[in-house]
Amino acid sequence: MGALPRPLIGFVRHVDRLNYGLGRVAMYLLFVLMAVLLWSSLSKTFFNPSLWTLEMAQFIMVAYFILGGPYAMQMGAHVRMDLFYAQQSPRRRALWDAFTIFTLIFYLGVMVWGAWDSFSYSLSLTWDGFIPELGRLERSATAWRPYLWPIKLLMLLGFVMMLLQCIAALIRDIAKIRGEDI
Amino acid sequence: MPQEMIALLMFSTMLLLMMTGQRVFGLIGFVAVLASISLWGAGGHTMGFSAAMKLMKWYPLISLPMFVYMGYVMSESRLADDLYRMFHVWFGRIPGGLAMGTVLLMVLISAMNGLSVAGMAIGSTIALPELLRRGYDKRMVTGVIQAGSSLGILIPPSVVLVLYAMIARAPVSELWLAGVMPGLLMAGMFIAYIAIRSAIQPQLAPALSAQERAQITWGEKISTLKAGLLPFAIFAAMMVPFINGYTSLVESSVIGVATTVAAAALKRRFTRAVFENATRNTLGISVMFMWVILAALAFGAVFDGLGAVKAIDSFFTEKMGLSPWTILIMMQLSFLVMGMFLDDTAMLVIVAPLYVPLVARLDLGIPPDQVLIWYGVLYTITCQIAYLTPPFGYNLFLMRAFAPPEISMGDIYRSVTPFVFVMVAVLALIMAFPNIALWLPNLIYPN
Repeated sequence: MGALPRPLIGFVRHVDRLNYGLGRVAMYLLFVLMAVLLWSSLSKTFFNPSLWTLEMAQFIMVAYFILGGPYAMQMGAHVRMDLFYAQQSPRRRALWDAFTIFTLIFYLGVMVWGAWDSFSYSLSLTWDGFIPELGRLERSATAWRPYLWPIKLLMLLGFVMMLLQCIAALIRDIAKIRGEDI
Repeated sequence: MPQEMIALLMFSTMLLLMMTGQRVFGLIGFVAVLASISLWGAGGHTMGFSAAMKLMKWYPLISLPMFVYMGYVMSESRLADDLYRMFHVWFGRIPGGLAMGTVLLMVLISAMNGLSVAGMAIGSTIALPELLRRGYDKRMVTGVIQAGSSLGILIPPSVVLVLYAMIARAPVSELWLAGVMPGLLMAGMFIAYIAIRSAIQPQLAPALSAQERAQITWGEKISTLKAGLLPFAIFAAMMVPFINGYTSLVESSVIGVATTVAAAALKRRFTRAVFENATRNTLGISVMFMWVILAALAFGAVFDGLGAVKAIDSFFTEKMGLSPWTILIMMQLSFLVMGMFLDDTAMLVIVAPLYVPLVARLDLGIPPDQVLIWYGVLYTITCQIAYLTPPFGYNLFLMRAFAPPEISMGDIYRSVTPFVFVMVAVLALIMAFPNIALWLPNLIYPN
């Protein structure tokens, strides 16, 4: 059998590199999160409690785990129930995965769809042909009242990148079934 | 189709799909979004994403990556080596003593950590090779480490109880306190089992030789005790401000991280490699948990929409006409069986919302504001058992990953049997005597 088309291999490499970079950045958000929470305990004890720390911490946590998703997938950290799976040869596993990965692609597709809806709601986005128009910006209903579109944009990005990582995994499995390693 | 049937269909499809070995979060999410779109049409597609917004509001969940990070710093920097040495010199002289010391080591690690992963990592890197080298039976050793490390979710701080608290809307502080006595009781019963077993079959767990014992001086015995200060310092730094209400749970977990990192740095063990491994592995584990919870929340939301809770509720209480205690015992049994096959985190997020409201309504003779605290402990012990029961248990897989090749999967499966029996006994004791769990929270928060 001939090799996979070069653009497909290029796609896998690019997605891998991009998600690795994204994941490495997300990884360090843990320390940003710690800093925010330490500041929160300090300010509560010594000065006036800060309004923004609680929500900021929530935003950072969500960014941390959604943007870190694809990198965790590269590490093989997402748990599988591998009672039978682990006993198969690598090629059989690739064959199984090539079918069952469609569940992930479907799920993540729906997540991207929902994230897009929620994101365009946060900007009250309307379309005049292909030109987007902004309406009233959605804010969180707390004392700090942050805008919600930045975090929703990050979540959308995370789900899109996870979807791409799954498609890359599918291509890699197909290659493995054909006896190649990418 | 009647709604109970849809719920059942969703559940069985999920179980079936899990057998394929695909990533658990994707399978749960797939069933959830597929069901919500087919039930509620195009509007149903937002359900999956709503779960992400809901997860964002679960503030206490931020403590999860913190506890994971603490655990990795502790195991990667080998902070627990001195602790192990302490138990080694004090307990080595009796048969089974090193195994008992390992249980106590796990208790101390559990008091600094909220999951069983850290205990597994520390137990298998420090205690496992040492005990095997000294001729301990391999099944006894692996069983001790798996069962001992599962105490991590019962003895405070506990991530499982944080998740439970969010579902049951019960205070985390009281739940954590409720876990203390049952955790110590369970550790005591593990030790009793080891003592009895090694008294009957001393060849399974040999004591240190006379020559080796002679080498351990009283001076060394006393000086190793210093190692024991560390867990108490970390535990106190986290728990004292939290129980007194100065810091929130999440802030306390960050104080715990800061203390652990400071301790590792003081011992000059917080190297670049420790930093990199701990940070990367924390991302992997936390992200894995969060994606499973994310998908399971969507699944649970569909269940909610179907009214599955009410259906199960009326099935037990009205149609079957069972007594409250029979229902409770049946719930625990079904939970144990599900725990064998299902991913534990997913089970927590899917099954707990079904069971908790039911327990709150049962008349078990326990004051209504305490019944959910007590059930939280039962629930956590059931999760512990689920971690250990084949074919699917986190600790079994972790053990496989950590253990040397001469220990087979069969050894690992068999090694947990006696400990599972001990855990079931503890579960029964706490069901029969709720005060084992409720005594400490009532003492600290009298009302």
